[in-house]
Amino acid sequence: MALRAAILRHVRVPVKTLTLTGRKSQPWGPNGASLRFLSSHGDDHLSKDEVIERVLSVIKSFPKVDPSQVTPDVHFQKDLGLDSLDNVEIVMALEEEFKLEIPDKEADKIDSSNLAIEYIYNHPMAG
Amino acid sequence: MGASSSPKLSGMQKQVLSLYRGFLRAARSKSAEDRHKIESIVSGEFRRNSKQVDRKNFLYIEYLLRRGQKQLDQLKSPDTVGLSSLNVSVSETIDPKP
Repeated sequence: MALRAAILRHVRVPVKTLTLTGRKSQPWGPNGASLRFLSSHGDDHLSKDEVIERVLSVIKSFPKVDPSQVTPDVHFQKDLGLDSLDNVEIVMALEEEFKLEIPDKEADKIDSSNLAIEYIYNHPMAG
Repeated sequence: MGASSSPKLSGMQKQVLSLYRGFLRAARSKSAEDRHKIESIVSGEFRRNSKQVDRKNFLYIEYLLRRGQKQLDQLKSPDTVGLSSLNVSVSETIDPKP
């Protein structure tokens, strides 16, 4: 009995210190920040207003476009008189502005400000 | 191509646009000056063909697509700085089909 109590008392001390130190170093280590960065819709995600503003300013700066005609739901070819090659150039300019790579299949569908805004706003990597 | 109000694209149109996109992507990897030159040459070439080539001339468009793809592959190589050779091949093929 005396032996058992002695062993228990002996064991308790190191176990306690182990859990304490072990717990402290894990969740708040330097890795915490980068883990958060990976989450797709974190605090740093672009606001809709910011997306709209930057999309429109990219379109307005396109040489063939009359900036006064650019609205959040303007259609590139129907309203701005652009052709499908211009359309490609605008989508490429948006890729650069938001540091994205838009696959062909998606890029072919983006033919208006509205679709561009929706696509970029819903893209987790847009920055 | 100009007056279209973005109807559904044909498979061949998609290929052309995809090639155009490929060229613009490749141009990004070059220096600012070269990039600008490449973009204006490529854009001029695509626009010229979009006006001059009959949209029903599928064989010729297919030929242009293949030729463009080869030129794009060359451009992608980091050793390729610019597209001055493209001008030569363009003038050669203004009278198409050997």
